[in-house]
This record gives sequence, C-alpha cells and structure tokens, in this order.
Amino acid sequence: MSAKLVLTAFMAYIIYFFTISLQSNSVLAWVYGAFLLYLFVMMLFSKNANKYRRLFQLVFAVLFTVSFVGNLYDERGSMAITQNAFYESEIPFCHLVIPLTIIPYALTKTIIFPARISGHYASILSMLIIWLTATVTIGRGWCSWACFYGGLEDGFSGLAKKSKIKLLPKNNEIRIFHFSFFAFLILMSIAFLSSIFCQWFCPFKLITEFTPIVDIPSLIATFLFMSVFLIFIIVLPILTKKRTQCSILCPFGAMQSLLSPISQFKISIDTEKCTSCMKCAKACPFSAIDIDTIIQKKGRPELNCALCGACLDICPENAIHMEFSFTKKLAKKCGLSLSNKTKSKNKIAGFFKDLTQPKHAFVFSAYTFGVIISSSLATDGLRRIVSAFIRALSLGGI
Amino acid sequence: MKLWSSALQSLLLGLSTGTYCAMYCAPILIPFISGSENNSLKKTTVLTLLFLAGRIVSYVVLGIIFAGAGMLLSSFFNPVLARRLSVFAYIICGLILLQNFLVKRKLSKNTLEANKKACPVRMKLAVFTGNDFSTAVLSGLSVGLHICPPFWASLFLCVQSGSIFYACIIFLCFYLGTLPFFLPVLGLPFAVKKMPVLKQIAQMTQLLIAVYFIIFAGLIPLIF
Repeated sequence: MSAKLVLTAFMAYIIYFFTISLQSNSVLAWVYGAFLLYLFVMMLFSKNANKYRRLFQLVFAVLFTVSFVGNLYDERGSMAITQNAFYESEIPFCHLVIPLTIIPYALTKTIIFPARISGHYASILSMLIIWLTATVTIGRGWCSWACFYGGLEDGFSGLAKKSKIKLLPKNNEIRIFHFSFFAFLILMSIAFLSSIFCQWFCPFKLITEFTPIVDIPSLIATFLFMSVFLIFIIVLPILTKKRTQCSILCPFGAMQSLLSPISQFKISIDTEKCTSCMKCAKACPFSAIDIDTIIQKKGRPELNCALCGACLDICPENAIHMEFSFTKKLAKKCGLSLSNKTKSKNKIAGFFKDLTQPKHAFVFSAYTFGVIISSSLATDGLRRIVSAFIRALSLGGI
Repeated sequence: MKLWSSALQSLLLGLSTGTYCAMYCAPILIPFISGSENNSLKKTTVLTLLFLAGRIVSYVVLGIIFAGAGMLLSSFFNPVLARRLSVFAYIICGLILLQNFLVKRKLSKNTLEANKKACPVRMKLAVFTGNDFSTAVLSGLSVGLHICPPFWASLFLCVQSGSIFYACIIFLCFYLGTLPFFLPVLGLPFAVKKMPVLKQIAQMTQLLIAVYFIIFAGLIPLIF
C-alpha cells in the first residue's frame, strides 16, 4: 500500500512537471493533469488497470487528432500536404515510418522521409530518441501505452459487447501476415527509396494529413486510405474486439515485436497454474496468445505481445504475471530461486520489494511515457475543443 | 575508346553502385529464395546464379541492341523510355512471382495430378513457368529490363562505343561489379532452417510484392 502511495506521489510530480508546469499552469492543464493522476491511481489500486489504460489511450488519441489537425489548419490552412511543406521537409515525422526510414538510411545514407532532422515540430531526431528510449525500456508496450493512434482502435473495439468474428483460431496466420507485410514494406522502401506505406496504405492519413487529390493515382491513394481506415480502424475492431490495424498492418508494431527481447519487461504465464480456459487469448487485443501458446506450454505470450495487461486482469487463476526480462538470467547467474514468494519480515525490505514489483514498475514507466508524449498535444487538443465550444455557445447567443 | 578503359569504367560503375542493384533485386530474391521448397545452400546458390544469369542475358541483349543501333537511339535516351521499360519490368516480374506463388501454394501435388487430366497443356505450362528454377531465370530476365541510373550510364557507354563486342564487355564488367553485393543472399537457407516460420512469411511477402509490382508499380503508372 505504502509503495503504491510513493509511486503515486512520484507520478503526481511527473504530471505536474510535464502537463501543468510546462503548459503554463493553465486551467485546462490542471484539468488534464488531474484526469491523468486519477487514471494512474485507478491503474494501481483497482484490479482492472487495462480499463483505465484504454481510457487514457482513447482520450489521448482523440485529443491528439484535434490538436494535430488544428495545428495543420493554423500552419497551412488545410490538412493537405502542400508542395512547399514537402520540398522544405516540413512534414511531421511519424513513428510508424521509423523502420521504413532507418533501413534505407543505413544502406544509402538517404533519408527518404521529407521531415526535418531537428529543430522542428515532430522532427526525425526527437522521434528517434523517443523510440530508442521506449524500445529499451517498455518495448512494444509503446503500442498500448503511448501510441497516439492506438486509442482509436481501442475505443472502437470496446463498442460491441461481444465479438462477431472470432479470430482466435487465426491468430497465428494474423501474426505471419503482419510480419510478411512488414517485410514487404521494408523491401519496397529499399527498392523504391520511398515510404510506400505513406503513399498507399497508411490509415491515419484520414485524421492527420494527406496528399491533395490532383490526379487519378492520388484519387486511388485517397480511396485506399479511406478503405483501410474504415476496415482496420472502425469495422474490424468493432466486429472482432481486436486492434486489427496494430496487429496486421502497423510496421512500427512489427518492428517493436522483433525488438521486444531487448526491452526490460515481459509477461510470463505460469503453466502450472494455467487451466487453459483461453480467456487471456480471447481478451488479447493483439492476438498474441493462441491455442498453441497455451497447449505447448510456452510460458509466455508470442513475440507480438504489446504488454497492454488485458490478460493479467482477466486471468481467473492469477497465472499471468509481469516480469523483468533480466531477473531469470540474473537469478540463474547468482544461483537464486525466483519461486520464493514469502513475505519479507523486514518492513523496509518489504516496502522496497513492493515498490520494485515488475507490474508496478512497468505501469509507472509506461504511463510516464504516455504522460510525457500526451502532455502538450492533449492539452492543446482540450484547449481547441473548449474554445470551439465557447465560440459555438457565443454564436448561438447563449 | 580503349577496351580496357571501358571495361574498368564499367567494373567500377558496378562496384560503386552495386548497393542499388542489390536493393532493387532484394524484394524479388529474398522472399523468393527464403520461400522456396527444399531450401538448401546448393539450391539457393543455383537459384541465385540462375537469377543473375537471367540478368546478364537481359543486359547483354539490351547492350547489343543499343550498341548496334548506336546514335540512332540517341533520341530515345530520355526518362520516358527508362520509365516505360521499368514499368514493363515490374509487371512482368510481378506476374512471374505471382505465378510462382500460386504454383507453390495453391497447386499442391494432388491437385496438380487431378488437373493434369483436365488440361495437361495448361498445367504443364503453369508448372514450367512457376517452378523455382524457371522463376529464377525469368525474374532475372525481367529485372534486367529495369532501368536504374548506373544501368542507364552503361547503356550510354555502349551507344558511344558503337561496337557490339564492346557492349558485351561493358555490360559483363558492369555486371561483375555488382555481383559481390549478392553474396549475403547465400546465407538465407541457414536463417530459414533456424526459423522455419520464415518460409511462410517469405511466401506471403512474395505475394504482396507481386501484387504491388503489378498494380502499384506497373499498371497505375502505365495507365495514368
């Protein structure tokens, strides 16, 4: 209990610094800060951390979209990419294209994305630093805790009470397709030296910025963007209750899955406690647990686990846990056993043990990422919504 | 122009720009070789050599045509011709990869036997054009049609030389210069052996690449 309070105090400070102090102490920053703190408290103290994580991501995704589109209108007067912005390399760098940019860069020393290296809103360098830090700490946890697109799918997947299409028997094929699509995008970006994901397949063009329709190919591209958005962000998440774009198309998600072994956290399944009820597999929005995972007693979800925590909350046997990825190796080296679950009699030792529990440490780290990334964007989004609301009221003569 | 000077020039051109050749060939070679049946070092080496043989044949034939026609073709030396040739290269290559994927995945041995009775000529043609060895040669031939800047420079050297013999030497040297960049492909069977799931991933990637080549890199630029 006291460890959770200490973590809450730390988080309150982080929220105050990034969300309130850096946003000029505005009333809306305080409102958003209070909301963030409330979510964190609920994540720590309730038994349904995933529910509050989803709420955070959904709110962040909506506010991000409002802020991003609002900024584009302020800067260019429309959501369309202007020739000037393209030639001046002023397109905001999106984390989804990191894998499609770094590999051609490594081979040719050419940056194929028209964004500024540094000193600009969403520059390449800032996104790379955020990505590297996220990769070595929370790994693919980024997708469930800090990605500003993921919340939309999370929101739509929560609309229906039951899934209309059951993907569980197809989970393995979904994973294979995801990695195939990733390989396809990488190879094509190498061959064409351009990000073909942005050219043809990105569903988020619809809510961020898009190429203006000037000819038939750009019309086809727009039609594709709309179709991919409708199918993978709205329809399939509602029908399947899964994050379909994240688990089928997203190149960043696939890369994070491949890099997940170097992150500090992982989920483990206690095969002795597991009764193969498959509730975790049904709940997993990323299709990272399937029948084979449980039957073959792998003891962990598949590579594409995004550490959202849905399986931890739903497991009736408490057989799923968050772990530090280095503890097993370290324990083996030191000749220690990890199965010792007796409570320490020393209060101070017990406090520190509680404080450094992997689940708490993970929620704290991942949420810190979410807070830092969301602070300015979400506050700006909130400001735009409130001012639009006030304007609407004043126009209506109320 | 002296022979040795042209040869050296082409060799250096190949060596200095080989990364781009390999980068263009990677989407075709990597999924195709990783996804081929009974993958082994020997088979990979043969497939890679066949692919590269297809490439050199295309290069030499184009070299001979351009050198034979000489400056008559100078008015065609513009980006439109290069783009057209590339678009056709994409469509042909996409179709070859698609055929190979279908033969590998859809037409299992049993269905082949069953279908042979219904339409033996069509089935034999499908198996002939879709097997790994013919796919390697045919995709190599089509890749040779893709015009990249270093290839364009070599073609120009051929036209300047005005001799078919010179053209063969120029393209042979250019081709030899690009060869070292293909060596990493030989490591693919070891990776697939270690992780068998890579084969399934490679086959699916091959399908996606084939569709992309045909529609997005081929038909859309060709029609619009």
